[in-house]
Amino acid sequence: MEFGPILRAMWRNKLGVLLVTLQVAFTMTIIVNAVFIINERSRLMVRPSGLDEANLFYLQNIGFSADYNESAVVREDLDFLRRYPGIVNATVTNAIPVSGSGSSSALSLEPDDTAPGTFAAYYEVDEQALDTMGLELIAGENFSAAEITERGVGEFFNPSRGIVSLALAETLFPQDPHAALGQTVYRNNSPLQITGIVRRLQAPWPDTSFVEQSILLPMNSLNTFAMYLVRTEPGQRDRLMVEIEEALATSRTDRIIREVMSLEETRRQTYMVDSAMSTVLFAVIVILIFITSMGIVGLTVFGINRRRKQIGTRRALGATRTAVVRYFLLENFLITGVGVILGALLTISFNIFLVQSFDMPRIDWYYTPLGMLALLLAGQLAVLGPSGNAARIPPAIATRSV
Amino acid sequence: MFLYYLRLSALSYRRNPVLSSLMVLAVAIGVGAYMVVYTLNYFMGGDPIPQKSSVLYHLQIDSGNPDDTFEPPSQLTWLDATALLNADNNYRQTASSKFNAVVEPEGDGARPFSINGRGNFGDFFPMFDAHFLYGGGWDRGADEGNQQVIVLSRELNDRLFGGVNSVGQTVNLQGNRFEITGVLDNWQPFPKFYDVNNGPFDSIEDAFVPWNLITSLPLSRGGNTNCWKAPVGTGLQAFLNSECVWIQYWIELPSTQDRENYLDFLDNYTRQQQELGRLLRPVNNGLFNVNQWLVREEVLPQETQILAALAAMLLAVCLLNTVGLLLSKFLGKSGEIGLRQALGAHKGSLFTQHLVEAGFIGLIGGLLGLGVAKLGLWGIEGLIGDLMTTDWMQLNPVLITVTLLLSVGSTIVAGLYPIWRACNVNPAIHLKTQ
Amino acid sequence: MLTMQNVSKVFRTEVVETHALRDFSLTVAEGEFITITGPSGCGKTTFLNIAGLLETYTSGQYLLDGQDVSRLNDFQRARLRNQKIGFIFQSFNLMPDLNLFDNIDVPLRYRGMKAAERRQRIESALDSVGLLSRKKHIPSQLSGGQQQRVAIARALVGEPRFLLADEPTGNLDSNTAFGVMELLQEINDRGTTIIMVTHDKSLAGKSTRNIHILDGRIQQCTDDTHLVRIPA
Repeated sequence: MEFGPILRAMWRNKLGVLLVTLQVAFTMTIIVNAVFIINERSRLMVRPSGLDEANLFYLQNIGFSADYNESAVVREDLDFLRRYPGIVNATVTNAIPVSGSGSSSALSLEPDDTAPGTFAAYYEVDEQALDTMGLELIAGENFSAAEITERGVGEFFNPSRGIVSLALAETLFPQDPHAALGQTVYRNNSPLQITGIVRRLQAPWPDTSFVEQSILLPMNSLNTFAMYLVRTEPGQRDRLMVEIEEALATSRTDRIIREVMSLEETRRQTYMVDSAMSTVLFAVIVILIFITSMGIVGLTVFGINRRRKQIGTRRALGATRTAVVRYFLLENFLITGVGVILGALLTISFNIFLVQSFDMPRIDWYYTPLGMLALLLAGQLAVLGPSGNAARIPPAIATRSV
Repeated sequence: MFLYYLRLSALSYRRNPVLSSLMVLAVAIGVGAYMVVYTLNYFMGGDPIPQKSSVLYHLQIDSGNPDDTFEPPSQLTWLDATALLNADNNYRQTASSKFNAVVEPEGDGARPFSINGRGNFGDFFPMFDAHFLYGGGWDRGADEGNQQVIVLSRELNDRLFGGVNSVGQTVNLQGNRFEITGVLDNWQPFPKFYDVNNGPFDSIEDAFVPWNLITSLPLSRGGNTNCWKAPVGTGLQAFLNSECVWIQYWIELPSTQDRENYLDFLDNYTRQQQELGRLLRPVNNGLFNVNQWLVREEVLPQETQILAALAAMLLAVCLLNTVGLLLSKFLGKSGEIGLRQALGAHKGSLFTQHLVEAGFIGLIGGLLGLGVAKLGLWGIEGLIGDLMTTDWMQLNPVLITVTLLLSVGSTIVAGLYPIWRACNVNPAIHLKTQ
Repeated sequence: MLTMQNVSKVFRTEVVETHALRDFSLTVAEGEFITITGPSGCGKTTFLNIAGLLETYTSGQYLLDGQDVSRLNDFQRARLRNQKIGFIFQSFNLMPDLNLFDNIDVPLRYRGMKAAERRQRIESALDSVGLLSRKKHIPSQLSGGQQQRVAIARALVGEPRFLLADEPTGNLDSNTAFGVMELLQEINDRGTTIIMVTHDKSLAGKSTRNIHILDGRIQQCTDDTHLVRIPA
């Protein structure tokens, strides 16, 4: 092939080559890093919470009158919900997984409350929580109705039993997480026995370092503010959300019902920034591919128009049409090739910048070569059309004097 | 002469409509995309109260766990906040925290509804330049006397009183009557610097009441709460006496001397507390002005910073594109340039002519870029509108000026080399072959 | 070696038909040096383009070395051009971005020759036109006459059977033109058939035969058959 002459000819047109090379390098840097970020975000977004999200919704119940009897209202509401046609089960809780708002505390293996412990989100629930959330109990047993304790306003109460997520058991007992069953840990200085392990239960905050570490506690805090988590039969959720809100809101005048929301909507809102980021980056990629290929097509067309006479002469000297197309493909391959090598360096540098400035993960090794390959291919595609036109330049143009 | 050059630019545009439009498009997309991200960073990372941001300080007292290595907490404990509030100085200052409450509107049929509230001191309003539609805030006496007074947001006043002047009337909050002293106008600091722990881009609260009422009534406290150690004992007082942090504390210190004095005072206070067995970490007090505080709390989202870097590279790609296209265009005009030189144009005037032409393309690109930016912001609003207030996502005159300057300026810079090349061709060659 | 029988070329547009060449017949024998003269626009270049396989014709027959070229596809025509025909153009048509060596290399590349042989041929071709010392220069660093000599070297490097020259001296001053003509005659002496289009009557006299074309037809043939030289 004619590498030598093409390279020497390119050297005479350094600036044009440099322009395309830099464009390719920047384009590759943006696209590869954007794809990486999109993939990272979607990896976060598809992590399961452990709940049967499709059939769950929740609502907030706030009492406000002086003689509001929360204990009685909650019992009455749960009873109503559990008997309502289409509802599978319901529970009361202090926090909703994935929602972004909840409580956590530190667990330690020693009764010393200043020792750094293992963080875990806690859910104060009743014995129907496992069934309502749709959690998979892999060891131990569920709470019994009798052990659910009510905590009055301002009281401090530390339950003595809890059900942990497998991930929390692994962190507490790395050697054998299943041996966590029956062990005692300390929370707020008081002992707590692990009586069950569920396969998976996420904390409410998706961006926390301990997102998979949670504990269920058999209690209900009476603080005028209660959340009901409701599981419906498949396909019934949207209808029931409307019906239940109306039924509960009109059943009493000493409380209000607010923020009736499905778990799917909760997830959408919680991951809104991630999905917005992905959408924006996707738009950037599309725009960039458009701009860069327009640029390459434009410069190729310009280069061909400038060299019409030369191309005709080449044809006169015996170049076949294929040879003309090959010339431009090869020329583009060389320019883009330099571009993607520069792009690989820039891509990795930019990733290092992201890692250092934003604690982002390191880019996987295969992204860079794949990006290089994709851009080389895109470059070839971009010049295919114009070079086809170049091949149709008639050789007789060589004898024209202007 | 400038107008003549401008007319030549328009003619030149029409002579190469495809090439010229490609350039305009490249500039428009590059600048438009950059301005979308620039706008986000401009507001989200901007100074929410430029006239006072250097004299308003948030306090940092390191009340954290002495056995751990976390950063000092961003909020204060009740013990520290009340001690500082009782200190003998005349600086304007306010502790503040969130609460939730249910409002029972007057009249039959109106259902009660819940609101976001804030407990704060009367100084809060003049400190933060909150503007009132009706009435005003309250004085120190109301704070100290636990008076049940309230300032409503314009929105809540619209909902409860149909927008009329409600000063002097009362609102029933969680079974307690509050007298309205004022109604805020459309006041929305952005970012909501006075409480970045609970959604820095959220709307302001619906109602404001004296801070002491949160604990004395009490009201249902809300917002971020962090405890490194469980409260000892039971009841509200046990919580208040604990090392849990949940209070924002701002003070207005007009001069650097005041700042130094106050920092000394804080250090003395910390040492006293250490003697009493509290604040066991090394003395690490801080006073952060508004902008320092926004940086320390990392208010500007990572996402917009990453996007800023990507958008800058996107702009670079578009400008490289423009350099290439301008080079094609101007070199294609060598004949005309040669002719003009033959007719007496000197290099300087040719240079100016083509600078104007590049600027002309940049200007059209910039105007189109404004549309692109508008479209982009509108898209972003659609993507995250459920998450935060989006009224601020507008191109104000400053941003419009920045857009046009950026597009004209960058196109001229992109054009410098092509112009230089085009103006340095030997006129004789081109005249002969024509 | 070249026979045209009643070759016509018609350019059609929506409104007019232009006959660039009408019933053109010509036979060229091996070793001839033919000049073609005629006013501008009479069909000289069209003839040359057809003869050089740069253009197709509308009707008639054209045999090159006994081969009917109308049946050839684009690929085969390109091969034939590359192997049998050398071109010299009025405006030289050198590649401005390539140095002299690479310029002369162009037709050899399309022939798929080994690098060593190409180098040897290019250098001897450059040497034969007296420009070997300047092989790394680019065309714009050369004078017009030098550029045309490079073009001639390029035309000859593939050792073609015949050479088509389109006003090769048209862009040159008379002194330089004279040198180029001498070079062409030398080439012809070595046995290469040459067809040269020119409007310079004085140059036409140096050929073995002159053909005058007017309005697409041969008007006049200086039939100097006795001048046809048989290659030694």
